[in-house]
Amino acid sequence: MRIDTLKVVAVLCVAFVTIGGQSFESKVAQLLHDEADDLKCFVEGKKDLTCFWEEELERRNSHDRYTFIYSYEKEKSRTCDVSSLSLLASNRTVFLCKLPQILFFTVLHVQVLYDGRMLYNRSLNVENVLFLDPPRNLTVVSSGKEGQLNVSWLPPLLKYMDDSMIYEVRYAVEGSHMGKVEEIKASTKLILRGLQPGTRYKVWVRIKPDGVAYDGYWSAWTEPVFRATQPSDMDPLIVLLVLFIALILFILSVTVILSHHKFLLKKVWPDIPTPEHKFPGLLTVYEGDFKEWMRQNNGNMWGRSAHIYAEELPSPLEVLSEISLASNATSQIEERRTLEEEEEKTESEGTDSGITGSWQEPSQAHWFMEQLRALQENPQSLSQSMLLESPDTYVTLNQNSQHARAEDDSQVDDICDESLPLQTLFSNSGTSSLSASQSDLGSLQQSSGSGRLSSQSSFEYPNHTWPSNRPGYTYMAVADSGVSMDYSPMSSSRIEDLGKRVIYTNEYKNEIFGHKWAISGQC
Amino acid sequence: MQKFSDLVSVLMVFVWLGGHPVSPLRPICDLRVLDHFVREARDSEVIMRGCRGGCSVMNSYFVPLTSVDFAVWEQIDGQAEEVQTGLSLLVKALSAARNTVSSSPLISTLDNNISNIHSLSQILHSLHLQQGRSTALSDDSASISIQTQEVSTLPELLQVQSSFLRGKVRLLFSAAPACQK
Repeated sequence: MRIDTLKVVAVLCVAFVTIGGQSFESKVAQLLHDEADDLKCFVEGKKDLTCFWEEELERRNSHDRYTFIYSYEKEKSRTCDVSSLSLLASNRTVFLCKLPQILFFTVLHVQVLYDGRMLYNRSLNVENVLFLDPPRNLTVVSSGKEGQLNVSWLPPLLKYMDDSMIYEVRYAVEGSHMGKVEEIKASTKLILRGLQPGTRYKVWVRIKPDGVAYDGYWSAWTEPVFRATQPSDMDPLIVLLVLFIALILFILSVTVILSHHKFLLKKVWPDIPTPEHKFPGLLTVYEGDFKEWMRQNNGNMWGRSAHIYAEELPSPLEVLSEISLASNATSQIEERRTLEEEEEKTESEGTDSGITGSWQEPSQAHWFMEQLRALQENPQSLSQSMLLESPDTYVTLNQNSQHARAEDDSQVDDICDESLPLQTLFSNSGTSSLSASQSDLGSLQQSSGSGRLSSQSSFEYPNHTWPSNRPGYTYMAVADSGVSMDYSPMSSSRIEDLGKRVIYTNEYKNEIFGHKWAISGQC
Repeated sequence: MQKFSDLVSVLMVFVWLGGHPVSPLRPICDLRVLDHFVREARDSEVIMRGCRGGCSVMNSYFVPLTSVDFAVWEQIDGQAEEVQTGLSLLVKALSAARNTVSSSPLISTLDNNISNIHSLSQILHSLHLQQGRSTALSDDSASISIQTQEVSTLPELLQVQSSFLRGKVRLLFSAAPACQK
């Protein structure tokens, strides 16, 4: 009878434990593993305090020989009924006692006696052995942001205790054993950050008193909740890299274009070629009038400076002899005219020899020197005679007129001293040499462009013998005509040498005036 | 003249403030303050366990009961008075024990505990839990209506202090109507 009663009680106890759920057995199993004391006690809430101990081999099936005695501070002792529990998972058996009355914040003394002898003894505070159930209603949702999950759960249904808890959240990628743990105090929500996008995670939570007012053990983990994070639309790092590379390429292309923009512009939008640079002033000053341009440019064949465009330019002079001379002079004139006319018509090169040929006879040179001296002494007579002899315009080289001319037109002096050879020539004699009227010189210049100067150039010299000590007269005169050269036999060569400041291709070797020619050549 | 009149007006304001009682305290509902006091009470227990000389002498201390039965705690009345009285008892006992201690760390922590209990009394007053009763810590033993217990050692006294603060005082704080949201 007694045995039957005990069996019923045992069955009821087992049933009670089973009904209590796996959680109780798991707690017992967990404390068996974690708690060092032989007599282990825990309180699940406000009402149920359980103390248990493990069955020892030598004391098997002897739970009725155990006596459980407990007493609170300053209170009398009481006993508790002992029961046993078989742990299916570990195949172990424990003896336990559930205290009917629980007082917090005071000392509890517990004793286990086996056959009247003290087996276990322990003093504890009930508020320090809280073993709570895992948090309820664990919820994990996507926060809408990349790599984030919102985790929330409910606090325990324990009044006055719910504000003294701490929680642990464990999360890991599904299928992975590596997880992270986050601890939270005084809150039942947590945002998990830094998660991989588009990945499925599983999350657990457990609870434990914070240890200030209450203390206890970590609860069991909740059942895991699975949730996937939001997939990323585009990796921000890749987007940034692409933008950065595009920016660098853009800057490089802009730099290349700017550094070679002139070249590229010429290739894409080439300038319309104009001959302006070959014909300075043709289109701007003379408005395309090529003849006028040529005329004007003739006087400036050897130079571009404004001084060259002075009104009066020295022009080649044709020395004519007197009558006694006149016959020779006439012949010379005629010969000269013929040559000039031919040259004007043909404008051929190689006429240098024509001029030079007319002057290269030393006897003629000496004769001319004498004529010039005579002319210097008596310029009027020559002018009269020459005027009678020839209808052409002659240049009268007159020292006075030259001076007057210098006074009137200072530009003459500014001219690269092309008149200097003439002045020097006449100054050597100390007297007025061949006179050259200003008007004639002016006419000479005027006609220089037309190419008729040579026909007009002439000396007016008096009917007297020329000074004999005139060196290289004829050569000098001709050489001096290097300023206006278009009409001369060497006109073609002049044109070639335009801008090169070379007067003649033929050099006239005159020891007195050679350097002068060099000077004039630089004009 | 203007400055003198300003000074006089300021002085009058101070006089007026001194002559009038202070306004009611704002409720202090943050439990972290109490938790801090609880930790310091626990520190005293730790120091006490490590004390090796000049720790205390045997003495009789009357201290409040600390046990809490959740089943009956909410039904009883006079929780505020019980807590206030208990705090005053603790202050007395701690002060008496401090005089018997020669260990300076222990003296320091006991002084800290006494100061904390005074602060707790002020905080409880701010919660307007008293109803028509004096809130000041009273030395009159006749006013004590709660049950007390007697302890004879300082470790027991410190344990009572710790249990009382964690238990009844904290429950009163967390259940105060002024702090309910």
